[in-house]
Amino acid sequence: MADNIIEIKDLKVDFHTDDGVVHAVKGISFDIPRGKTVGLVGESGSGKSVTSLTAMKLVPNPPGEISGGQILFEGKDLVKASEAEMRKIRGNKISMIFQEPMTSLNPVFTVGDQIAETLMLHQDLSKDEAIEKAIELLDQVGIPNPSTRVKSYPHEMSGGQRQRVMIAMAIACEPDVLIADEPTTALDVTIQKQILDLLADLQKKYGMSVLFITHDLAVIADIADEVVVMYRGDIVEKGSVSDVFNKPQHPYTKGLLACRPSLDKNPERLPTVSDFMTVDGKEISYDISALLKEKTTRPIADDHDVLLEIKNVKKHFPLKKNFFGKVQNWVKAVDDVSFKVRRGRTLGLVGESGCGKTTLGRTILRLIEPTAGEIIYDGKDLVGMNRQEMREMRKKMQIIFQDPYASLNPRMTIGSAIMEPMIIHNIGANKADRLQKAGDLIEKCGLPREMLNRYPHEFSGGQRQRICIARALAVEPEFIICDESVSALDVSVQAQILNLLLDLQEEFGLTYIFISHDLAVVKFFADELAVMNSGQVVEMADALSIYQAPKEDYTKKLLSAIPKGIPKDLLVTQLQ
Amino acid sequence: MIEPNSDALPAASPNSLWTDAFRRLKKDKVGMISLIVIVIYVLVAILCGLDLIFQNYSVADDARSYLAPNAINWFGTDFLGRDVLARAAHGTYTSMLVGLLGPGLSVIIGVVLGALAGYFGGRTDALVVWFYTTVDTIPYILLISAFAFVLGPGLQTLCIVFGLTGWVGLCRLVRAEFLKHKEKEYVQSARALGAGHMRRIFRHILPNVLHIVLIQFSLAFVSVIKAEVILSYLGLGVEAGTPSWGVMISDAKLELSRGVWWGLLTATLFMFFLVLALNLFTSALRDALDPKLKGK
Repeated sequence: MADNIIEIKDLKVDFHTDDGVVHAVKGISFDIPRGKTVGLVGESGSGKSVTSLTAMKLVPNPPGEISGGQILFEGKDLVKASEAEMRKIRGNKISMIFQEPMTSLNPVFTVGDQIAETLMLHQDLSKDEAIEKAIELLDQVGIPNPSTRVKSYPHEMSGGQRQRVMIAMAIACEPDVLIADEPTTALDVTIQKQILDLLADLQKKYGMSVLFITHDLAVIADIADEVVVMYRGDIVEKGSVSDVFNKPQHPYTKGLLACRPSLDKNPERLPTVSDFMTVDGKEISYDISALLKEKTTRPIADDHDVLLEIKNVKKHFPLKKNFFGKVQNWVKAVDDVSFKVRRGRTLGLVGESGCGKTTLGRTILRLIEPTAGEIIYDGKDLVGMNRQEMREMRKKMQIIFQDPYASLNPRMTIGSAIMEPMIIHNIGANKADRLQKAGDLIEKCGLPREMLNRYPHEFSGGQRQRICIARALAVEPEFIICDESVSALDVSVQAQILNLLLDLQEEFGLTYIFISHDLAVVKFFADELAVMNSGQVVEMADALSIYQAPKEDYTKKLLSAIPKGIPKDLLVTQLQ
Repeated sequence: MIEPNSDALPAASPNSLWTDAFRRLKKDKVGMISLIVIVIYVLVAILCGLDLIFQNYSVADDARSYLAPNAINWFGTDFLGRDVLARAAHGTYTSMLVGLLGPGLSVIIGVVLGALAGYFGGRTDALVVWFYTTVDTIPYILLISAFAFVLGPGLQTLCIVFGLTGWVGLCRLVRAEFLKHKEKEYVQSARALGAGHMRRIFRHILPNVLHIVLIQFSLAFVSVIKAEVILSYLGLGVEAGTPSWGVMISDAKLELSRGVWWGLLTATLFMFFLVLALNLFTSALRDALDPKLKGK
């Protein structure tokens, strides 16, 4: 029996588009050893997902086409396998977990039915036996009360639980290979840690081989045995985890390792991949000490000028009404929160999904009306302002949302999108002037001004977030709320956007509230930190002391969830 | 794509979606041909309406009753000896008027009410939903007959009747789309930038639901032309003697048994090309309005 359960040899995948052939995967070779975990790392568009879909023969044809190479599964070439043969392999021998647990479960069937379906299909079990087995599986993936939850519908479960259900479905037939395509990217860091632990346990228990795909090197350090790094359809580096992490050869790997904010460092700016290499993959020499330059902590005096103060803000949503329409039960999304944001500084707001941080952010801008409390901006209480007064305030206060795909109108050129706030607030003398300003803004955010005539779908996630930033800056605001603004981005892009936001803060003296679930990012970015749990601020202090001396258990839990996989700090090692 | 230098940068004007759409439409051969066909129909309708062409449409001649297609009457004559081609051409006027104005009116009502209901929610929504549910409970033909009886038969009545009764389905769809879109982040972000209600409704959400409106409009156009046939048959449609495809098609049911097929054929051909062109055009317009399909 061969050591390798899957051997990929010189695999090429092309996509035929209107603009010509795109070579998504350009002849890559790697093996997945039996019973081991291989991490496949790369940024969006590097071809890593296409590679995994090809292994299942799930790449739609047309436009996709496997133009060369072999995928040997237990010695059998899957590229030549018929659809009928593949159907027996999929879900049975090789199964897959997808990124988005919200959409990869069918909303109209109970989770039990969905797990049972795979079992009935591949293992010839009766419905009752399959449900029995489904309960067992749910128990294994750590769903509490599995015999009740088996009858739940996907919408009744949290994101983490849904991903657990997906895992239960994937391991139902005890597959030989499990392909996990960014299974934790859409989840909070705390949930991510639980899912990673679960996957590692199951892998050991069943002796499965796992292909773990991610954009975040730090995530796989804990669970992978081998790492394959992809860039633009090619493998740039592969090797054992300790080799790749300790002695990275390719500049891209070095960049990926360096760009993730870590808890124990305090750099002024994050290193990015472009500090290590050019876009076409040529190594450039870099100045380690410049990349490691420490951030000068900006002390915050007690009498520092306060730009925004919120006092006892509450936002309660009605949950249940009785027959007469009287509310009987409330969700206390934000429950009595008070804090101050100082001019020119950044307040980090950190907590898990559902802790109320996003609701709080939107309440501050009065996109949601607060139930009670005061929001005092520059001495004026926003609560109770009429629409006209509020419109004036919107010029000063801006927000950048999480999802750069959803926050731009798909039918508006980005030029119009950036000029729109200027029209609303009468900024700029005429159209030419506004166009000029929009061009300046987009250049400031790192995109050429020729792009103004394009539509949002022509840009990548990171570029769109730059556009959203340019748009927020169009009204010349002094205060910006960044609501999970980098959470949807690849680690390498995240570093660029964080650096851009810091540069802009320096240039325009902006004040930020930075909302995130990732403590490492917030700690790098913010001066002060507020930790939120169940609608309340549980701990608040400057960023460094929260990290060094967390007081609350909840904060400690958040801290321990950050992937600490990187064995040694690359740059520090090189410096020594 | 060659990038122009920044001086010659085409203005990204607030109308650029429409400007862009038209530019893209010009490249779409099928779309342009169907547009030309529609323009020809409109011209024929206008010229007939002004009585500048096919003036012989009402000239009756008993001696020339039911002539098959010949050198003088290319499409034959009807039972009063009137030229079928001229009748059909004048029928274009009736159909275009009813088919464009009726659905046009119902699109305006449906979009405005649906947008307001979906966007504002609450009482506005409750009122609109109550209103369209009520309209919807009345049997369609009965409602149309009631209008026609009150206003008296005629072209204007038909337009008004179709306009006032045809908006319910569209309103429902637009309301649902607005409910979905108003929570999207791009609308929220427009709000955070200070955009008022009207700007959010008409500049942001509406362009994103317009494809539904276009499809509904082209479907309504066809069904209105067909409904005109039924109403004319019931005597609630156009006044007797007014040329209309509906009347021609409804006359054909007696004529066919006598071997007179040209009346039906002519009316059907006229209708076929118009409906085809209209469907192709709205589909091309829908594609042109979707920037994601750029370059196709």
